[in-house]
Amino acid sequence: MSEFHAENPLPQSADDLNAQYIACPHCDSLYVRPRLSENEKLECTRCHSIIMTNKVRSSERTLAAMIGALILYGVAVSFPFLSMERSGLENKISVIDCISVLWTNQMYLLSIALALLIVVLPVSRILLLVQVVGTIRVNGRAGWRNARALRWAQFLEPWSMAEIFMIGVIVSLVKVGKMANITVGPSFIALTVLIVLLTWTSTAMCRSTTWAALERKQ
Amino acid sequence: MRTAREYGLAVCQSCGWLVQDAPARCDRCGRKVHFRNPASLQKVWAYWLAGVIAYIPGNTYPIMITKSVAGENAATIIGGVLTLIHHQSYLVAGVVFIASIVIPVSKFLVIAWLALSIQRGQATGEHTRLHAYEATEFIGRWSMVDVFVVAALAALIQLGALVSIQPGIGIQAFALSVIFTMLSANAFDARLIWDREQDKENDDDNL
Repeated sequence: MSEFHAENPLPQSADDLNAQYIACPHCDSLYVRPRLSENEKLECTRCHSIIMTNKVRSSERTLAAMIGALILYGVAVSFPFLSMERSGLENKISVIDCISVLWTNQMYLLSIALALLIVVLPVSRILLLVQVVGTIRVNGRAGWRNARALRWAQFLEPWSMAEIFMIGVIVSLVKVGKMANITVGPSFIALTVLIVLLTWTSTAMCRSTTWAALERKQ
Repeated sequence: MRTAREYGLAVCQSCGWLVQDAPARCDRCGRKVHFRNPASLQKVWAYWLAGVIAYIPGNTYPIMITKSVAGENAATIIGGVLTLIHHQSYLVAGVVFIASIVIPVSKFLVIAWLALSIQRGQATGEHTRLHAYEATEFIGRWSMVDVFVVAALAALIQLGALVSIQPGIGIQAFALSVIFTMLSANAFDARLIWDREQDKENDDDNL
């Protein structure tokens, strides 16, 4: 890895430019683009951010995890995740019930926000990643529409709050555990595995090689 | 250390592509690419203020109303934490306290400190500031935990006249505050931390 020197004239074409140079997105330092061997990474000498990675079998692993996540999401949304019983009365709830209870209490905006944060956005993100990574896995490369899809998938990442919802469920479990009999349903297990899978994906997926496999709009 | 901007190059913040004629659309992912995000600090402060304002009703209005044969009880965020401590659920009390009080308040402070340091042209502590920014971005979304707790409890505890829980209006304001602070952190351009006066001649995006 070496720093950029002013004596070198910059290539005119965008492809040559990007094949030869890379910049740190966090502090803007410019580097001559190195060739990374497997699992090697490029760290910025100024701000120590990781600029570039080369993780092995990134698209394969990500695709597997995303297909798994999609199935688990189906289970998580369709089955009850908690049921409580007290004095002969029983109540089972699913993810959808958490959203609709806000709607019936006239908190329409919050209800919509919850539907987006725990169902719509995470599922959209998973579908986008399946599309992008699946195409790369099959063809080795992918067209410019997939680049748009990957940009949206990245944008949706902080707004996909499945794992935070899960912690919320555990907290409420402890809160009411003493006043009633609580049992966990199939959805609870699906959500738990889903969290593990999504966390693992964020380390297994290589952004640099995924982006590098995407073509530009001509 | 030479920056991309010194050579008229701008880095796409979503895919890392180098663009020669910024501001322009990234020719790989289609995102708008600037040398520095335009009006970054103005957006940061606008969302920050909205977040702080929404945080006040989020704390003063009840987030959860419990109705039972014993009567009606409306609890605020702090009230809920105190009840948990009273029932010796210290771990859960800790989780709720950290997610709903410690994280939002420290987020407000960290974002304000970062924005002020840029406006003052501070040239020290870049690593500390970058770490503080990354921590803020990473941890901010976890404040939503309390919103999900209220939604889950309100759905679960529906046993007719025996006991039932309703969400309180405070939780709506609290959720709004979390969303605004996420947007505020999002609007901050980390590259500003490393910029110095002498390399701003290429800067066409006014701050």
